[in-house]
Amino acid sequence: MPRFHPALFAAAVLFAATPGALSPAWAHHGWGGQEEQVTSLTGTVVEGVSMAGPHATMKIRSGNDVWDLTLAPPARTARSGLKEGLIPVGATVTVRGNRNSDHSRHEMKTISIRHGSAEYHVYPDRE
Amino acid sequence: MNIPHLLFRLEASPLGAFTRGLGVWSYGIINLVHILGIVMLFGSILLLDLRLLGVWRSIPLSALSRPTVTLAMTGFFIAVASGIPMLAVKAGDYSDNPFLLIKFPAIALALLNVWLVHRSEAWRAHRVRDLAPPERRRLALGASLSLTFWLTAITGGRMIGYW
Repeated sequence: MPRFHPALFAAAVLFAATPGALSPAWAHHGWGGQEEQVTSLTGTVVEGVSMAGPHATMKIRSGNDVWDLTLAPPARTARSGLKEGLIPVGATVTVRGNRNSDHSRHEMKTISIRHGSAEYHVYPDRE
Repeated sequence: MNIPHLLFRLEASPLGAFTRGLGVWSYGIINLVHILGIVMLFGSILLLDLRLLGVWRSIPLSALSRPTVTLAMTGFFIAVASGIPMLAVKAGDYSDNPFLLIKFPAIALALLNVWLVHRSEAWRAHRVRDLAPPERRRLALGASLSLTFWLTAITGGRMIGYW
């Protein structure tokens, strides 16, 4: 029969309480911090698609602003047909996605990227 | 040399370039190895620290300390060996991330605590004899600090990606 250990009990309570205490942070995978509505943005590629890191990324210039585009995780981005180097720097692209709710940050979680006649849907279920 | 500068240097290093070129699954796999290291580290630390805090007194401390310390050290080195390349991928992105400034000082404090506990008379004595109450209190204090620092480090680390 296991005995009741106050220290163990305290540790278990602490552990169980952690996700609750940190819950706003769990919004990440629901793209918390982004606008609900989908924005369309046309610009020229400053930094091509990078497949490194937790999410693929690229940078485009639209008007005077350089936008950080966050794509899907690398493997999923690759399944949309995108590859590093496929869209050259300087190319014109139109991207659709949810921009950061903080409008001073030019950052967008990208749903799709159109380059010429090709369109890459990295998150087709979020259209 | 400041911290953002160091991070950009790490990103620009050959290690950063090498890790970025490893393919679309590389980040996920390095991340997996990092988690396995942390699991080994924290799992064994939790076991030892709870024993030092008075749980499972029927198990001799010396029987528990050897496997848990070995596993914790192994896990720590796995976590470091995977953590550095994982950071190097896009180290510059983390230059304004406050959780980095929670995680790394917490690891430093945790390691300082390990060093202090291991050089204490109580820790040396536990292998050869039963401990007196003040010695047990000394190790219980070390165990509380250990749990606090490692949990802080893990929390800081996990939150880096959510900033």
